[in-house]
Amino acid sequence: MEENDQPSAQDPVADAVERKHAAMLERLSNRHQSRLSGKTDPNSETSFQSTQLFLSQFSQSKLSIESQLSRIRKQPDPTHKPDLEAISLEISALEKLVAENSYFLPPYEVRTCLNTVAHLKQSLDEVTSLVIPKKKFSFKNKPTKKNPTVAAQKDAIILGEPEKELNVGSEKIGFRDLSTAPGFRDREKDVLVKEFSINELEGGQNGEFTLSKLRDCEVRLKGRLRALFMDKLMNCKVYVGAVTGSVLIEGAEGCVFVLASHQIRIHNAKNCDFYLRVRSRPIIEDSCGVRFAPYCLSYRGIEKDLTEANLGEETGNWANVDDFRWLRAVQSPNWSLLPESERIGMVDVSNVGNSD
Amino acid sequence: MGLLSIIRKIKRKEKEMRILMVGLDNSGKTTIVMKINGEDTSVISPTLGFNIKTISYQKYTLNIWDVGGQKTIRSYWRNYFEQTDGLVWVVDSSDLRRLNDCKYELDNLLKEERLSGASLLIFANKQDIQGSLSPDEIAKVLNLEAMDKSRHWKIVGCSAYTGEGLLEGFDWLVQDIASRIYMLD
Repeated sequence: MEENDQPSAQDPVADAVERKHAAMLERLSNRHQSRLSGKTDPNSETSFQSTQLFLSQFSQSKLSIESQLSRIRKQPDPTHKPDLEAISLEISALEKLVAENSYFLPPYEVRTCLNTVAHLKQSLDEVTSLVIPKKKFSFKNKPTKKNPTVAAQKDAIILGEPEKELNVGSEKIGFRDLSTAPGFRDREKDVLVKEFSINELEGGQNGEFTLSKLRDCEVRLKGRLRALFMDKLMNCKVYVGAVTGSVLIEGAEGCVFVLASHQIRIHNAKNCDFYLRVRSRPIIEDSCGVRFAPYCLSYRGIEKDLTEANLGEETGNWANVDDFRWLRAVQSPNWSLLPESERIGMVDVSNVGNSD
Repeated sequence: MGLLSIIRKIKRKEKEMRILMVGLDNSGKTTIVMKINGEDTSVISPTLGFNIKTISYQKYTLNIWDVGGQKTIRSYWRNYFEQTDGLVWVVDSSDLRRLNDCKYELDNLLKEERLSGASLLIFANKQDIQGSLSPDEIAKVLNLEAMDKSRHWKIVGCSAYTGEGLLEGFDWLVQDIASRIYMLD
């Protein structure tokens, strides 16, 4: 359009200035028009309107809260407890409203509204203490409790608390019996074999696996799994394919582990040897006499399992052990590298049932 | 572009929140932070010490303190409590055996006065693993309903592995903090 007006203007800078000028003139004339028609600038208008809108909404809910509070105040009665909770919710909603709109509100309004909210909270507290005698410790003498059953219930809850804590274990078993989760538990002198097929993994069947309280056992887990939990193992040999998540070991003594995993955490292990392939740094905690060496497991298809689990490459992390009980620069006395002469050779677990 | 919008922009710049991520070891705290920040989550070592990540989220700047959860270093958690706006408690929903430990540590944490004002988001992580407990079950085991009424809390199921649920959780946390903090200016 401007090019039509001024075909001679070749300089783009002059062109831009010209355009800005035109735009400014237009804005000015617009403003002039709106002033003439007794209106304010459209931009400030929206903000003004929403301030008004906000204030009316604010005072409306304020009034409703106040009236509810005064109603309850006249008749303090424990049956109002749900009402009080509703009011408390309303007040926080109001608070939120102020917060959300604080961007455009004039600071004076923000302050007043905040004050109002604070007052509302205070009077809610007052009313609450009227309706429900405070449980807080105080020297006040309140000979008659408004509602003995409520008080009694509260006492019961407090008394019942430690008991509840103890119950958590059984509660949990109520949800899902720990022993029904996939795993091998409470076995002795046994060879335990489990093969995780790919189908299972894709079908979502294949999640975590647990080895718990095993003694003198040999465990072979082939294939891929998401997570492995082990606790209380004694004199066991544990051979595991690919774990795509983490391995958590808690309590092991005199065991040999051959593991490939993304993360490995070892707690309370004593005199164990670990043959690892791990993507991150393995850690030990509260352990001693643990030794580390590179992964050495084979079975038919292990390469595929490892590659698909992103464990195809040796990262060398088997030797980068962090000891959380030894946060110093010098080598931790709790772990060491296993001398090559003492390492077991490649372990082949291709044939199920073939022990050693 | 008016003065008003410039002022708004400046105000938004100041919207910083301090978020503390805690939970037992192996619950996936670092993975959650990395995932939400769009980083590679395939090589994450157990956290020795802590990581700080500053990310902008919606119109806020989040300073996320991701503190290691190994037993040995849990006692250092309290060094990070000061000025915490939001607390994220991460639970490994597939680790049924240690849920008691998890409850015990959470209860201890919530007794802390310096955290009394902080909004609490509980991530029931690892929902993608078959056999993990649902958020409702976790809420029951942790007895969340019995928490102090004044505490703002929410439990969200998530998977740091797939990323599911992470944004839902952080959206709530940020909104909740925003509605509280900006009352104090």
